[in-house]
Amino acid sequence: MAESICRALRDGALEGELAPALTIKDSVASPFGVQVLDHVLSQFFSCILAGKSPSRGLIVVSFSRSPSFYFELLKIKGISVDSSDKRIHILDCYNDPLGWKDRLAETGNFRAPSHEASILRGGKIRFSIAIDSVDEMLRHASVSSVARLLSNLRSHDQISSIFWLLHSDLHTGRVTSVLEYLSSMVASLEPSIELANGQRGDMENFSLIEHNSKKGKFHVRFKKRNGRVRVMSEEVHIEQSGINFTSLSTEGAINHGLVPKVQFNLQLSEKERIDKANVVLPFEHQGNGKPIEIYDGRRSLVNSKHERPVAAVENVQTNEDSSWGEIIYYRDSDDEMPDSDEDPDDDLDI
Amino acid sequence: MATAKIRRSSFSRNLSTAAPSLGPGLMCGPNGTVFLSSGIPDLDKVLGGGFPLGSLVMVMEDAEAPHHMLLLRNFMAQGLVHGQPLLYASPARDPRGFLGTLPSPAVSKDDKSREPDPNQEKGLRIAWQYKKYFGENQLTFDGQRDGKREYSNEFDLRKPLERHLINGQRIDCVSIQDFSDLSTLQDRCATFLSQFPRNDGSISCAGRIAIQSFCSPQCAYSNMEWEILSFIRSLKSTVQSLNSVAIITFTPSLLSPSFCKRWQHMADTLLSVKAIQDEDKELALLLTGYQDMVGFLNVHKVARINTQVPVILEATTFSIKLQKRRYLVLECLNQAPVDGSSGTSYGTSGSCSSSSKTGNLDF
Repeated sequence: MAESICRALRDGALEGELAPALTIKDSVASPFGVQVLDHVLSQFFSCILAGKSPSRGLIVVSFSRSPSFYFELLKIKGISVDSSDKRIHILDCYNDPLGWKDRLAETGNFRAPSHEASILRGGKIRFSIAIDSVDEMLRHASVSSVARLLSNLRSHDQISSIFWLLHSDLHTGRVTSVLEYLSSMVASLEPSIELANGQRGDMENFSLIEHNSKKGKFHVRFKKRNGRVRVMSEEVHIEQSGINFTSLSTEGAINHGLVPKVQFNLQLSEKERIDKANVVLPFEHQGNGKPIEIYDGRRSLVNSKHERPVAAVENVQTNEDSSWGEIIYYRDSDDEMPDSDEDPDDDLDI
Repeated sequence: MATAKIRRSSFSRNLSTAAPSLGPGLMCGPNGTVFLSSGIPDLDKVLGGGFPLGSLVMVMEDAEAPHHMLLLRNFMAQGLVHGQPLLYASPARDPRGFLGTLPSPAVSKDDKSREPDPNQEKGLRIAWQYKKYFGENQLTFDGQRDGKREYSNEFDLRKPLERHLINGQRIDCVSIQDFSDLSTLQDRCATFLSQFPRNDGSISCAGRIAIQSFCSPQCAYSNMEWEILSFIRSLKSTVQSLNSVAIITFTPSLLSPSFCKRWQHMADTLLSVKAIQDEDKELALLLTGYQDMVGFLNVHKVARINTQVPVILEATTFSIKLQKRRYLVLECLNQAPVDGSSGTSYGTSGSCSSSSKTGNLDF
């Protein structure tokens, strides 16, 4: 599934469409966003190098890590590039985001947009952009200006795809929704076991935290062209060498809320099944060879076991379980043979 | 006969001699309202005729799917076909580009007749959910077919609207992305709407306003929530007193919940569209025709003008389908019996409890 993301990014945009945009979203409970970003970045870049993508180069806007980190990363993944390679360009917003060195800083205005604009002015070459961390951008600029930048990038002819990382805990819900609104794919990382709120420091949960620090769930929502949303899930494992995606071990029920609430209960719980088996039905033959004696209020049975006063007529059957369910049965007439096969409606004259 | 009658008492009905003459694309409705078509015949049927003049329609978008654009396209194309002037505002840099995607009216009626399901066996057929077989027999109003243009057209989404309709019209396009406040937009709307004064008698022309993705985050004004609200209020009151209909689409997840509720409250007609999850086996089992569905449309509120009687719809959730990938149709959902005790208010689900997000049934 990480491959499908890379494929979507690689294929870029069709004519007249906005460039595909990916949001990688993580949280404190499953903080693997950077690993996922590194994975996607290196995979995507190797696609670019192999010429499989209409995009000829990658611009990495690095806010939270220094540019040299990315060269190291690519080297580790087996892709060796040097800084003069035309196919990758790292916009260094890590070292001096507000441009103090150049004294260009106005409040809230920072270098990344102007840098990107200048690169893009050059010709017909198509690029992709990776933004290290949108959180840093949002520190320095308002949501609407970041949103405008991202949507302008998406609609620019030269951009073939764009992806960014977001730590959802650092922002209000609205900011996360804005970024999800602007993207065509949302990849979110969730812990494989949910921790109860407010129990972080508890020793019992320590093993859970430890478990969550190595594994997690990876959900992706793709907004497809036909207006449908495709949801995929995988498990993610972090190892020394990198990150591994495996398909979900149990088919997690993603849509719990879908089974409609019906007014009748289609499934019985275990207790209900036992209770049901214990109820004695008011038929005179239970199918087990013995006739059942049913008290019918007229004391017409010979072997009446119930010698209660007439007033207390409620308890006509003894059920083995002491549940409150009762079946009250009054026989129509004594002359009737037990369990006769006659249809009582036969004497209707229709 | 004289048109001015002497009223004997303040309670006598003021009958005019003839129904007011209406321009193309307008239809008289109950309670003295005049309707114009939404561009989707199925939606007109559900709403009881169309959008009444003077109403504000709001469409709640789903961030994951562009179905509100389908509704807008049909709405705008219907207006242009009838020669009704249009004001279109959108956060795109070049809103005129969107006009190129407007559909053209479908050519012949025989193409698009709803074919019965080819998989039906001959012989005994049990009509579970029989209502869907009633079909077009129940159309009670179907526009005037006496040579004048029809009230509402079926649009072919694959065929673009003829250029002369786009070029020759009074179409005003506004890009709202760079507006730092809404006064410019307000002035543009006011100027546009002043063309449609309301007076007793004939209505020659009605205007349509379409504002797309009004609270889009790219727009500079998008965090000025109270200003946006007062703009909507003034638009609503202007539209109410003039012969026009305004439609605003917005994404509820981008607004704070209290403002979202306020926006919804302002609407006369409130619709919402929802994305549908792909390859969802449970949904495929629950709903018939799942494969053809593109999304869901929910009708939360229907405009009622000049009356206190609300509309209670039989069904509020419809599936949006593209028949032959060309014609937009809305169908009632055919689904398993649901717990009818969940009430219908804007924020909760109507008769359909299916949702692509667990627990979040807010359409």
